[in-house]
Amino acid sequence: MIPSSVDQVSEAFTSRDYIADRSLAVTVHLALELGRPLFLEGEAGVGKTEVAKVLAAVLDEPLIRLQCYEGLDANHALYEWDYARQMLAIRLLEVKGEGAKADVADIMSREYLVARPLLQAVEAAATGRRPVLLIDELDRADEEFEAYLLEFLSDFQVTIPEIGTIRAATAPVVVVTSNRTREIHDALKRRCIYHWIDYPTFERETAIVHRKIPGISAELAAELARAMERLRTMDLFKPPGVAETLDWAASLAVLGSARLSPEVADSTLGVILKYQEDIERVRTTGVERLLTAG
Amino acid sequence: MNASPPTEPFTDNLVHFARYLRTRGLPVTSETAADLLRAALIVGLDNPEDAFHALRAVTITRPDHQLVFNEAWELFFGSGRSPRAPKLDTIEFQTWRRNPTLRVIAPTSAEASDDDAAEPKEVAEQMGGSYSERLAGKDFTELTPEEQEEVRRIMARMIWQPAETLGRRWEPARSGYRPDLRRTLRNLVGSKADLLPLAFVAPRPRRRPLLVVADVSGSMERYVEMLLYFIHAARGKLGRLEAFVFATHLTRITRQVRHRDPRIALSQISAAVNDWSGGTRIGESLETFNREWSRRVVRGGPIALIISDGWDRGDPDVLRKQMGIFSRSVHRVIWLNPLAGRPGFAPETRGMQAALPFVDDFLPAANLRDLREVIRTLESVPGHRRPRPVGGDAHGSPPFSRGIPTS
Repeated sequence: MIPSSVDQVSEAFTSRDYIADRSLAVTVHLALELGRPLFLEGEAGVGKTEVAKVLAAVLDEPLIRLQCYEGLDANHALYEWDYARQMLAIRLLEVKGEGAKADVADIMSREYLVARPLLQAVEAAATGRRPVLLIDELDRADEEFEAYLLEFLSDFQVTIPEIGTIRAATAPVVVVTSNRTREIHDALKRRCIYHWIDYPTFERETAIVHRKIPGISAELAAELARAMERLRTMDLFKPPGVAETLDWAASLAVLGSARLSPEVADSTLGVILKYQEDIERVRTTGVERLLTAG
Repeated sequence: MNASPPTEPFTDNLVHFARYLRTRGLPVTSETAADLLRAALIVGLDNPEDAFHALRAVTITRPDHQLVFNEAWELFFGSGRSPRAPKLDTIEFQTWRRNPTLRVIAPTSAEASDDDAAEPKEVAEQMGGSYSERLAGKDFTELTPEEQEEVRRIMARMIWQPAETLGRRWEPARSGYRPDLRRTLRNLVGSKADLLPLAFVAPRPRRRPLLVVADVSGSMERYVEMLLYFIHAARGKLGRLEAFVFATHLTRITRQVRHRDPRIALSQISAAVNDWSGGTRIGESLETFNREWSRRVVRGGPIALIISDGWDRGDPDVLRKQMGIFSRSVHRVIWLNPLAGRPGFAPETRGMQAALPFVDDFLPAANLRDLREVIRTLESVPGHRRPRPVGGDAHGSPPFSRGIPTS
């Protein structure tokens, strides 16, 4: 189903257990309608990658994921030849002793091409589908790759010298995420619909915990959300995201704790805080402070 | 969807809105105006909240734009006014610029530097004459304006060959590291060779980025200008350069440093910093860096250059702790202290004492000769890090490469 209004996007996301706030729903709707990439920024663990997954589920299209890393290049993002098979084929031709010219072209054909995410997306889109292409953590790739992507995102076509140009019939649904470990160039962002995903409000976080961890009590969900709200105002080196809230809730479920007592919170701080300095800071201010109401 | 003809007040309004956003520094192009209209038509205008989110998503490109956009929205469509509200032509389009009342470091000589570029290169590095020798050893604070000019000229031409590390990208190589099947096969096609001559790739070397954090507080005043020229000279000769200055708080000056002309770069820096010659809070400034910038600008294992005399008004415990975090997030910490070369100097200030366990190289930086030594140190940075003391309780004496007077 392709949601055709902001409300429909909201509903579709909620039905897949993603509680999106209004601004995100508007942005997603806009990106779908305009056929433009969606650029999601925000701290780690606020649910950026999840948006792409949910979107793929909602649209009932395959999710094609490109995880970025330093040194990522066209071979890994686009296509690569299957050398082992090509060499075998060459040997085979030699054995058969058949004429060379036409066969060389055979060896450089689609059959021997390994499609990586970007080509996969274009190929899927060339058949009339609208796959969801997730370009995850673009900030980890180098600037060279970003420049390459700029071109890809405007044309959605891939040229392979030996084969020719493969063009997408419709633009794939593209979701680009960034944790902002560095600034992505404005030229790329301008091609996209931009959205900054913030930490959720207390109400939304409670709702998310409820949805994702079934069987959790209303009190506990509220306690967790409140503690998180406090933690995020504490000037921590790495404030916990929604992913951490869910980890925390799941841990408490495993431990069988129905309520968040100072003792339980203290012994599980490592689930939500990943820097020694942050844990120290919370302990010196007192874990009880996180839990008191009002 | 009912497309409005461009004469409608609403469309005009959007164009004005876009123009206004541009004056406030948002990356608005003529295309953006069209996007605004498209976005408005898609979500409709009956729900102002949706319209707000939609228009915002097509105009901003970073989180700090949000505030600017919100203000502009309030101005044009806020307080219950619908986005359809009649054309606003009362808004004055003023350029928003930082008030340039701040102190500008005056160039000591009005002479332009551009014509120097024509001079032969040898003059710069060839320090043969006794005059040049004297100049190289002369403290920056004792230079005459003419000598400063000369020193700057030399700095701009110093040769930097900073240490390289192996990157994660690959490049063709003559032999050895990993076979390059793509090239191997390509070579094979069309050749009649029976043997398979393997082609190879090796990791492409890459220069480590340089991260400069310079103290511009009162006690550094007499050195700051020349050292900023030095940083400017480093720009362009290294891979990437990130630069920050601090006195009581931290300011990022990376963009300003990038300007080609050092004088303009310097005056832009002085316009950007508003606590020149203030007190020094090294620990707090580093804390700001660690929390807000570290994960955004520290990529690729940079070499960090901290420039400070170590006179610190802040809490040494904070400094110790923040130095710990800082040193663990970079490849190497080089501390430049203009006073370190003076006879009888010992790093005894509380700030210096707190920071030293986390410093790899402690070097003087008071004259040209010192700066040459700094460059040599940068060139010889080893590929591996020494283990860092953890947390805030490190008091051991570090294995300095040089510079600390043994007493």
